Amino acid sequence: MNSNESKVQEILKQRGIDTAVVDDVTEADIPEACDRFKKLMDVYYTLKVSADMETPYWYNRIWWENDGDLIEVRRARAVAGGYAHTTPTILPWEKLVMNKTKNVRGAFPFPWVTASFFNAQAEALMNEVDAPAESSADAVSQVGAGGGNVTESYGEIVSLAKKFGMRKEDIPVLVKVSKYWDGISVEDVSTKYGKMLPGYDQFEKVMDSVVVMFDSFAIPQGREVMNYYLPLQYGFDGICDLCDEKIAEFMGEAGDDGILGMSRGYYYAAMKEVCKGLGQWCQNYADRAKDLAARESDPEFKKNYEEIAEVMGNIAHKAPATFREALQLTLCLHYGVVNEDPQSGQSIGRLGQVLQPFYEKDIQDGVTTDEEVIELLELYRIKITCIECFASAGVSGGVLSGNTFNNLSMGGLGYDGLTAVTPLEYLIVEAGMRAQTPQPTLSVLYDEKTPEDFLMKCARCTKLGMGYPAWMNNQTGMNFMLRQYGEEGMDVIDARAWCLGGCLESSPGQFSPLNYNGKITMVPGGASPTCGTGIHFTALPKILELVLTNGVDARTGKEVFPPHNEKIDTYEKMVELWYKYLDLSNQIVNKVNNLQMDIWRKYNMPAVASLLKGGFFTNGQHIGNCGAKYNATINFESCGTVTYINALASIKKNVFDDKTFTLEEMTDAMINNFGFKTAYETGVFSPDFRESTDASEKYEKIFAACINAPKYGNADRYVDDLLVEYEVGMKKYIPTIRSYYGKPLYMCQISVSTHGPQGFVTLASADGRLAGTTYADGSASAAAGTDKNGIYAIFESATVYDHSMCQNAQMNLKIHPTAVKGLTGTRKLLDVVRAYMRKGGFHVQFNVVGSDTLRDAQKKPEAYRDLMVRVAGFTQYWCEIGKPIQDEVIYRTEYDEA
Amino acid sequence: MEKKGLLFDIQSYSVHDGPGCRTNVFFIGCPLECRWCANPESWKRKKHIMFAEKVCKYDKGCRACRDTCPKGSIKFDENGKPSLTWSICEDCESFECISLCPNNALKQCVKEYTVDGLMKILKRDFNNWGSEGGVTFSGGDPLMHHDFLYDVLMECKKAHIHTAIETSGFATEENFLKILTNINFAFIDVKNMDTEAHKWGTGVGNELILSNIEALVKSPWRGRLVLRQPTIHDYNDSDENAMKLIEFMKRLDLFEINLLKFHRMGTSKWEQLGKQYEYTDHGDMTDERMIELQNLYLENGIACYIGDDTPF
Repeated sequence: MNSNESKVQEILKQRGIDTAVVDDVTEADIPEACDRFKKLMDVYYTLKVSADMETPYWYNRIWWENDGDLIEVRRARAVAGGYAHTTPTILPWEKLVMNKTKNVRGAFPFPWVTASFFNAQAEALMNEVDAPAESSADAVSQVGAGGGNVTESYGEIVSLAKKFGMRKEDIPVLVKVSKYWDGISVEDVSTKYGKMLPGYDQFEKVMDSVVVMFDSFAIPQGREVMNYYLPLQYGFDGICDLCDEKIAEFMGEAGDDGILGMSRGYYYAAMKEVCKGLGQWCQNYADRAKDLAARESDPEFKKNYEEIAEVMGNIAHKAPATFREALQLTLCLHYGVVNEDPQSGQSIGRLGQVLQPFYEKDIQDGVTTDEEVIELLELYRIKITCIECFASAGVSGGVLSGNTFNNLSMGGLGYDGLTAVTPLEYLIVEAGMRAQTPQPTLSVLYDEKTPEDFLMKCARCTKLGMGYPAWMNNQTGMNFMLRQYGEEGMDVIDARAWCLGGCLESSPGQFSPLNYNGKITMVPGGASPTCGTGIHFTALPKILELVLTNGVDARTGKEVFPPHNEKIDTYEKMVELWYKYLDLSNQIVNKVNNLQMDIWRKYNMPAVASLLKGGFFTNGQHIGNCGAKYNATINFESCGTVTYINALASIKKNVFDDKTFTLEEMTDAMINNFGFKTAYETGVFSPDFRESTDASEKYEKIFAACINAPKYGNADRYVDDLLVEYEVGMKKYIPTIRSYYGKPLYMCQISVSTHGPQGFVTLASADGRLAGTTYADGSASAAAGTDKNGIYAIFESATVYDHSMCQNAQMNLKIHPTAVKGLTGTRKLLDVVRAYMRKGGFHVQFNVVGSDTLRDAQKKPEAYRDLMVRVAGFTQYWCEIGKPIQDEVIYRTEYDEA
Repeated sequence: MEKKGLLFDIQSYSVHDGPGCRTNVFFIGCPLECRWCANPESWKRKKHIMFAEKVCKYDKGCRACRDTCPKGSIKFDENGKPSLTWSICEDCESFECISLCPNNALKQCVKEYTVDGLMKILKRDFNNWGSEGGVTFSGGDPLMHHDFLYDVLMECKKAHIHTAIETSGFATEENFLKILTNINFAFIDVKNMDTEAHKWGTGVGNELILSNIEALVKSPWRGRLVLRQPTIHDYNDSDENAMKLIEFMKRLDLFEINLLKFHRMGTSKWEQLGKQYEYTDHGDMTDERMIELQNLYLENGIACYIGDDTPF
């Protein structure tokens, strides 16, 4: 606070006006990140995203060495053996160690999951000539060209999936390992059986036209929450002992389950393999650190290596005995899970509540300080930011924008129904403020019981402009849990254990009794398999377009759906046909998806995740066999909700209600892009860019009518009622579809980054959006530039239906920094969050950054290497996201520029 | 007949115009015509049109407004850039051109509201303000609509809505007190302590404004009063002017002032209205001078806030 501010306060105090509650922390008051963080980030910024073949080589080798063994044991040995053989890399200054691979920012391909790409490319890769044609989704996805992405081959490096660099000497290994899996990878086997389906050509048509994006095997795990309880309580050696007890109890016994009962014994045998491999992985780091210490002459570095050796040596066998050991162990488990499949959205969960007992004891005993804990948490951020996912360009750029969504949740309610916020969570926020990295992104589970000072601290963090924490409604989330998992026995206590998996996928949890420091603490953790992986991103506006074009994609001239040949003479008829096409897509996509995931769970079942979330004390099954407590987790992912609703409103108003234009005229205008040049021609994807052509005059009137039609986000019931109709209709329809777990599907309404590529393939829409430009992002934000009545009107529109009907609803807001700066800005930011939460809004997140800054950053990416923005449910470096999404973020309406 | 107010904007999540988060209601019509005004579209108390050249897509070939004006007001230069003939537009009541502009470059900037219509929006927004916020009536000058505003204020009282006002203070004492004594929080502008200079800058002298402030202070009203001053170089940024204002405030036992550093954000609006803006290259204040002025007030026991940096 400067001296004038205190003088102002003094004068006001004399007048009886108390300003003591104001937030007097400015950005300048936030302490710098620790030295180690800065040094390691300097290293991080120079790192390229790297793929190598060390771990896959060992996986492949051990897998085949165990040919003929029981499948779950074989899989566990291969996964754990791969880790046990991975070269440990330790950087100077690190306190927390371990990496996914020998590279710090590394990942590797999984040919046993998908091999066709590498096999088809084998010759090309070996010859380093041009790769074969990309799949449709890959061709329309744009990966950010800056930062650590390796978008093109150079020197001794070959670019894979437009993102990863692989050293040339690894390429023959990749090609050779992939050969083993030709015809038997998850992808190949599921495709083989998929082709038996009548109507498989329908599946190919919706995928080729990008009406639906992505196969489930592309990222079969993730969008779920970790559960660190078991190893924190027992340690790896302790779990092995427990496994022996369980084997003695269950091996050879079916119980009363004639199908899977016998598998329990095999499960415990497999879990022992997992623990041994993870323990060895830690031990290798301990040995490496010991070796480095022996050769280090600098006493400070030497001591650091010795500490690492001690920590890693301990957790290789025993349950953790300090906060640092506990944090290091959760990191090991996290890497263990994210390395066993291509994945994104493996969420850390409520770490500050899980680790609170360890933190509390160390502080009590005086063995650590808050500053030391913050330092560890800062270093933890780098470790999570380094998690890369090896997937195709379509998945990396199109869905993920290069982020792997390792979400850390805070707040919510505890086992006792009281606020779950812990002192450690304040330090997690503090570390996120000091050490600014895209991951882990932070989420606050906002509950009326959450302490105000914690909310203020979180708001202060949101203000800094990194996009985190995002804000989720705890009560709405709990209600969704009870709705979706009630049939599986979810009660109000388990409902309190929920949190975010992935960026916004609400995931069920459970509490476990952690016995530490002489008391039992009920700690939350994940209790389900993936809460995604159902019918993937489905382009709602594109399906409407296909209804109007009688099933033919006017962009490509190809038929996507069989012609309906019906005269669309009412609004209701149009919506009915939309459901008909959607159902055609859903039925076949669901079957193919079920096959993909079923083949995956039979041959490639989670190993580490099954250890953590399998029914250890209950049913002794891995996650593929419904081992987790809750299994009704598979969803339907929609994309373009608001664009679809706005298009409906425009057609309803202009064609059916006012009868200003015919549906034929409307369709003609859409096909001809209202007479404007397309984004494909101009290369500009911003929704406000329009370049006229000679044909423009013909469409002037209809275009103005479309633009001026009612738009979602203005508290206008004409259009908002259509949203209610849609949500209620889908809530009835989607659960009629069943997952491979035999449970009803539900609605997931996040676009991640798919509103870029799916907008790309969609013609102009009746709301006035031009061909190829992005859809409105999320599901609750207004389409860019269409919200004319301010933020409160958007809130009004967004909450016209009960958000707990769906897994999520996504609201992105851009706020100009001036709106929240100054003495009372934090309070005002919290006010706006609370306003939305009170209405039952599920989620809101903010970009507190000016458009001018973003435009400048687009021109000079090198000057903004550390600029982060919030995209759809995650934070990412500006320079690592694709241009269409950049344009979309810039164009979002900015609140309070004045 | 039901009373109606003419508004040119309603802004939600307004955070710099009173305590907490607010909804800001902008009335059309102002008794002053300040040379530096940032909202010149708010002067005339009638519906009218604005043309925003910056968002017009003439450069991308758009000619959608070509034949829309029955009186032929819209003309195009050799680059296809449209311009309005203000002598025609000034008296327009029908605004045919607006509905065909897809870019919102041509827009009618005033809407008519009934008391009920406005209250419906305020009650909706009430859910969002938080414990400190409320509505701020701004303009233009809301006092131009005192009859309508009075009814709105009575409804706000019934609904327990916190009210604030931003006004020039230029109205008859009767109308002024009728409104202000029913307001919780008031900003009143004092542009210059010298009445001649006040007249030069705003078109009116300052006597009525100063006497109204005095009348308000002497009334039983117990709301919070913050004076405001757009601070403009070479117009009202002298120590002398500040000292006169300080004396005035001390005499009335007023202790809060908000200095707003001159900005040029309204320039494009003058152009949109077809008016000449004279403050294109002068009037700028340095941050240092703003701090000096703040210090002067603080030394005299007056809490002085600069710009957004307010304790509410």
